[in-house]
Amino acid sequence: MKNESTALGPNKVTGVAVSRPQRTASVQTYIPEIAKGLAITMKHFFQNTKEMAFGQRNDPNTEAIEDGINCVSYPEQKRPYPARSRGMHRLTQRDDGSPRCVACLCCSTACPAQCIHIEAGEYPEGDPRRGYERFPQRFVIDELRCIFCGFCVEACPCDAIRMDTGIHAAPYDSREQFIFEKDILMSFPGRDGSHLTANPRHEPGEGSHPGLDRDKH
Amino acid sequence: MTLTLVSFLLFVLKAFVVVMFAMNVAVILTWADRRQGAMIQDRVGPNRAVAWIPTKVAQGLAVGPAIAVIALVAFVVLKLAPPPEELAQRAMLFSQLGILFTWLTGVVIAGKVQNRGVTNSFDAWLYSLGDPRRIFYGGLFAHFLALFVGLALNDSAYAEQVRDIGYGGGAGLLILSVLFGAVYAAISINGEPRIGLRLAGLLHPAADGLKTIFKEDFIPPNADKFLHSLAPFISFFPALVVMAVIPFGDTLCFSLTKDGGLGNLMTAMPRGGMCTEGAIRLQVVDLDVGLLYFFALAGTGIVGAALAGWASDNKYSLLGGVRAASQMVSYEVTMGLTLVGAVMVYGTLRVDKMIEWQSQNAWGIFVQPLAFFLFFTASVAESKRIPFDIPEGESEIVAGYFTEYAGMKFAMFFFAEYIAVVTSAGLMSAIFLGGWDLPFLYRDGLHVTIGQTVIFEQALPHLVIVIVGALGFVLKTLTLCWLQLMIRWTLPRFRYDQLMRLGWRKLLPASLGNVLATGLIVMAIVSAGPGVAEFMALLADYSKAIVALAGLGGFIYFIVFLVKPVHKRQSLASTSAQFAAAAGGTRSARMSA
Repeated sequence: MKNESTALGPNKVTGVAVSRPQRTASVQTYIPEIAKGLAITMKHFFQNTKEMAFGQRNDPNTEAIEDGINCVSYPEQKRPYPARSRGMHRLTQRDDGSPRCVACLCCSTACPAQCIHIEAGEYPEGDPRRGYERFPQRFVIDELRCIFCGFCVEACPCDAIRMDTGIHAAPYDSREQFIFEKDILMSFPGRDGSHLTANPRHEPGEGSHPGLDRDKH
Repeated sequence: MTLTLVSFLLFVLKAFVVVMFAMNVAVILTWADRRQGAMIQDRVGPNRAVAWIPTKVAQGLAVGPAIAVIALVAFVVLKLAPPPEELAQRAMLFSQLGILFTWLTGVVIAGKVQNRGVTNSFDAWLYSLGDPRRIFYGGLFAHFLALFVGLALNDSAYAEQVRDIGYGGGAGLLILSVLFGAVYAAISINGEPRIGLRLAGLLHPAADGLKTIFKEDFIPPNADKFLHSLAPFISFFPALVVMAVIPFGDTLCFSLTKDGGLGNLMTAMPRGGMCTEGAIRLQVVDLDVGLLYFFALAGTGIVGAALAGWASDNKYSLLGGVRAASQMVSYEVTMGLTLVGAVMVYGTLRVDKMIEWQSQNAWGIFVQPLAFFLFFTASVAESKRIPFDIPEGESEIVAGYFTEYAGMKFAMFFFAEYIAVVTSAGLMSAIFLGGWDLPFLYRDGLHVTIGQTVIFEQALPHLVIVIVGALGFVLKTLTLCWLQLMIRWTLPRFRYDQLMRLGWRKLLPASLGNVLATGLIVMAIVSAGPGVAEFMALLADYSKAIVALAGLGGFIYFIVFLVKPVHKRQSLASTSAQFAAAAGGTRSARMSA
């Protein structure tokens, strides 16, 4: 059988000729093939049984055995989500523990499922941030509506909403339990265990802040 | 033989032993089948049933039997001094046992240490020895060394000292290794809050059995209620009682008291000796028609499946019942004709006589190899198991003839299938693998002889030989059961026409050809001179040597395979793996059971 690449059709799709299975005497009589199959089954049976009985099974998430398969025995073993996986939302915090969110409504506007509801509040009189930014009085996400597209994270100008908790939606038993209020969203840490983000924030009044009044510059 | 109270009680006892063996093995097989399938795919399978026991009790379970063994050994050594002519034998026994337990303890602990890491200075020393295989090889070397030193110095001037060293040293090694292993195990689980008793998952079939008893017993509204309830019993019962004609051990010989009752068990038997009086055959019923009884009952099993299909008022059930009936009838023909060859060679229908012929000559698998293969295939088809499970083909007819069954009645069909596996394996091991016969083990002891050449001889007590033979029968039966399970996890299901073609156009002519060839060969050998008979006897001795060597080699290879260390490499290619590694890995102790 030729094993060359050949160009097929008007679009010149190249393919490799695969030889047909040969109906040799050993295949036709069936018995040698049964013996071969049994040998393979037994090999896997003895190998796996021995490793299970002696506790030599590898950790399917961190180890590999030469030419072996890695079976994750859920739920005793779980494969952690990868770093870029989009899990439950969290609201990141400032150094003082208040939310980084400035209630600009970018995320709720970007949300295709319209699952984010924000009620903005003004800072009290005399606060340096009053008139410069607002804060979310309520920040509600309906996790049942959320389609986990991550657009809210993309839209946020302040790195205030993230989906890096590594938690998947828990199987609660009522609809109300899936409606996450601000305090729940702020209680989730990221995968690194921190409630903050790596991006520094420049508060009004700090030296690094460009200033509230742009006319001065 | 008149029916006395003793013989009646003996009958009940034997029936109890056989039924318990068949049913327990079948129950375990229902679970082992699933567990094996999972293990082949590197999953754990049904293993989650667990009984928790307090740590103190578990420690007691480890140390208690060890103390009993030590007490027994000490009692034998100190109180039961052997007569001088048996001293050499006893010394050999104890030195071999001491060496065996020493390397066994070493290998087990070394495996544990490899597994969970070094925890104390003994672990550290054991770990420094390296590969656990070295301990096994060392033990093997010590076995042979003790054997050869014992045999070589038996008649020399140092014979007495060597015997004393072997006797005392062997017993000392035995006591020390058993005690050390038990105490090590007790210490290593100290501090655990509780110990989970899983028995490798064996509690699972018990839990399943309890579950099916308490499930709803559903009978379809328009079904024939009586026949629907009767069918599982009809398919369950014949499968079970077939074991009655299969002997599970050699005949036990008792001496007779003056009034003709049974006296004590004979301590030793002559080589070809067969007691006429005071014999207790280890088989439930003594039937001259032996094999015919088996075929009669195997034929009855068809009725159960056909009846279940008909009485369920369900088209799928009916199709399954019809398929089961036609398939079992077809393969019954092959089964019967296949054994005609064996019957011609053995010259009897009694299964116990067949085993005797095999123990005096060669195993059936050597004289009737084609018949073994044909019978194996036909009996897998007869028990309606994959690759012949067309009567219950899930992808075509839901569950076939037991579609409309639930709870314990369903379990009885399920169970009958597995009992059929056990009984057919028992029959095959009796007819083709020598039953309770083990190579070179005769009624008076071990005689390794090829032709006229004597290699090794050792007289053994009657009871020991019978018990070892019975264990051999159990081992052969379990091996054949296991082989059937392996076939179930390897082969896909046949199509119906393929099944019929295989049965009628391949297996049936092959079995007829086997009958013809066997007849010709038997006639040729019978009419040939004594030279041929002598040559055949030599061939028979070689067949025994082959079995013995294969068994020994397989055992050694298996131990080497078990102690072979596993090489793993860290593989943190993905962020997922990095998270798992940061959490200290995701392997948990529960998976290791």
